[in-house]
Amino acid sequence: MFGRLRKKHKETPAGVRVDPVFQGARFFLFFLSLVLFFGGLPFILAFALGYKYNVRTMSFVKTGLIYIKTQPEGASVYLNGRLIPEKTPASIEELLPGVYRIALTMEKYYPWKSEVDVEAGKVSRVDKVILFPLKPDLQRLNQEGFDLFRVDAEKGEVYYMDREGRIIYRSDSAGENFEDIASLPEKFGQISGWDISPDRGRLFVYGPHQVSVVSLDSRSNYEYPDSFVNLDYSREKVIRVFWHSDSYHLIAVTNRHVAVVESRALSKPVNLVELDKEPVEVFYDVKRQTLYFSDSAKYADGTPRKNLYKLELSPELYILERLIRKTDE
Amino acid sequence: MPGFLSWGIIFSLVFLSIVFPVACAIIIISFDFYWIIRTVYLTTLLIMAHHQIFRQKGRNWLELCLRLDARRGWPDLRQLVIFPVCNEGPEVLRPSLEALRASRYPKDKFIVVMAFEERNPHAHENAALLEKEFGSCFGSYLSTFHPDGLPGEGRTKGANATWGAREAKKLLDSRKIGYEHAIVSCFDADTCVDPEYFGCLSYHFLVSDKPHQASYQPMPVYNNNIWQAPSFARLIEISSSFCQMIESMRLEKFVTFSSHSMSFKTLVEVDYWPRNMVSDDSVIYWKGFLHYNGDYRVIPLYITVSMDVAYSSNIFKTIIVQYKQKRRWAWGVENFPFVATRLVKNSNIGLFRKTRRLFHLLESHVTWAVWAVILVLIGPLPIFFGGRFFSQTALAYNLPKITGILFQFTLFTSLTWIFLSWTILPPRPRGIGWFKNIILVLEWFFVPGIILVVGSFPALDAQSRLMLARYMEFNPTLKGNKVL
Repeated sequence: MFGRLRKKHKETPAGVRVDPVFQGARFFLFFLSLVLFFGGLPFILAFALGYKYNVRTMSFVKTGLIYIKTQPEGASVYLNGRLIPEKTPASIEELLPGVYRIALTMEKYYPWKSEVDVEAGKVSRVDKVILFPLKPDLQRLNQEGFDLFRVDAEKGEVYYMDREGRIIYRSDSAGENFEDIASLPEKFGQISGWDISPDRGRLFVYGPHQVSVVSLDSRSNYEYPDSFVNLDYSREKVIRVFWHSDSYHLIAVTNRHVAVVESRALSKPVNLVELDKEPVEVFYDVKRQTLYFSDSAKYADGTPRKNLYKLELSPELYILERLIRKTDE
Repeated sequence: MPGFLSWGIIFSLVFLSIVFPVACAIIIISFDFYWIIRTVYLTTLLIMAHHQIFRQKGRNWLELCLRLDARRGWPDLRQLVIFPVCNEGPEVLRPSLEALRASRYPKDKFIVVMAFEERNPHAHENAALLEKEFGSCFGSYLSTFHPDGLPGEGRTKGANATWGAREAKKLLDSRKIGYEHAIVSCFDADTCVDPEYFGCLSYHFLVSDKPHQASYQPMPVYNNNIWQAPSFARLIEISSSFCQMIESMRLEKFVTFSSHSMSFKTLVEVDYWPRNMVSDDSVIYWKGFLHYNGDYRVIPLYITVSMDVAYSSNIFKTIIVQYKQKRRWAWGVENFPFVATRLVKNSNIGLFRKTRRLFHLLESHVTWAVWAVILVLIGPLPIFFGGRFFSQTALAYNLPKITGILFQFTLFTSLTWIFLSWTILPPRPRGIGWFKNIILVLEWFFVPGIILVVGSFPALDAQSRLMLARYMEFNPTLKGNKVL
């Protein structure tokens, strides 16, 4: 072939034609590329599909692989008791189908062990492994004694309540900037629960017959005087209290009513729902301003049945809806 | 057909990635492997072409011509040089004419035709200005004005060049110069020739076996304003030059592109450039090929002609300018129906040859339109659409891994391209800092990002337009502050 090429260029004076050596080299390269492509492609595809060439049997065997990912990364991997060179994240390829013992070890962490089933042509993923430290990173946050605490994950703050000393403390999530930020009313009896308002400006505490609101930041609380707001529930038993999203109204669930009350002195509760029975479970979705509670009702045949109700408390809309409908309808 | 094929390939692969992700992944891995081998192969051709250019650099071609036997035709040889001008002003044309004037070649052998468009309001003014400046520098100097809207013509460069060539024919007739003694060069308005270009061209013409059955293709490099052009545009144009160098090594596929030369006799016989097609530069080759029943070739001249890098005032406008320029080049796909219909009718060309040429033509345009889409966009689709079953297969795990390993091989070819691009740069002009050299190297890392913009999309756009009969007109390209 190259001889023919040279012959073709023979009549042309030297130096001006495309060098036949180059053209020869080009044809050689072209055919080499063809050989490389058609020779190499089966091996690349076989590898991609998980085949392994077994020299002993002179045949291709379909294999599988294990992919291991840990948190934190860098764990040593033992496959059937043998350490592999890779650390996590690691993939162990060309494994014949079968069950393999995997052990993951890392200094200062608990080891992880399991058996993994490898199928031909498939990846067995072990990618949700969390290695837990032998010595947990434990940190004390409070600098004073306390009885109850609340974590504000959104703001990264922690509130502490010292019931005996009637003091509210606050620190950041690392325990830094620990400070007392408010006091509880002196004549407050048993405390059943407490919560911080959505705007973090106030706090309520409630007991079986009493609800008090305490200002946490007097500077921003210009609209309302910096004093305790006590709401008397002497004739009812307070079950749960929630902050409305406006950080001003409280939703109080008692043994007799679902009421909304303004957090100001001398405010009267507005009873939205009269309850038949003391609710056992109550949930308030602050984002959607919706209260879920259970109550019982008598049906046509006189039998009492428990219902779940949904009460939407957005300023524009108060809708009471029974979620579970029973057969009396 | 090319558009149908290109879109067919793309949609088939997308469909496969959804329905048979395993099959799609196998095709993608095969294509990646093919592409790597092809890249290495083409880079080797580029090295060979580059070697040819540097080997022939500085050769005194004129002396070689003078040494030839007079019977080969040197004494009678004339150079007809046509610059088709659309909206370009003297600031673009002057450097081209100055380069022509600086040629190491007898100036009395030149017949320069500045072919203006009559519709350009400044055409006569610019023509007068240039004629005053350069009119006496050459054997003959003609300014022609191509009337707008002649029947059977589009607003194309070919129509203007043909008008100029016909005017030049009258001049040759009046001076009784045989067409076979004239070589015609049709240059873009911003083409600056190497001083040795016409010597080199003449020598190749005189020593060729069938000089009239050949086009002569210099190596176009976009060097004129390369130091001023933004990285994005510079990279693309360097790559374009390299592609042309590579093509010059594949003689059986080599087709004329941009500025080129040929026998005036042949030009007249094939009835000049097409007057209603945008890709006149390549169609003229096919006209010759069909006229001589396949016995027509392109002879590469390993000597450069320098043109401007297409760019604009900011990066977004530059992307648009580059996109439009590449779409115009990709519009060369219009050659396919032109060639196919005529080849079918031509019974003097063998079936194998016809099929081979048509396949090359089709394959080059389809590959242009789909390769970047397959590599960049379709590559990840099997994993994206494959679902839980596919994600559990070894193939899903190995697909990105193998693709990654294969593409690491392209690093070697990239380094070669970076080095070669360095060697074809003109000297750094005053006022441009040395740090620009570093930028010239680092900018190559942006290549994957710009592949799509000027890789496949312009070609897909052009093919779709042809498929939907939304024909393009010749739009001059904006190059910096100039319109070309």
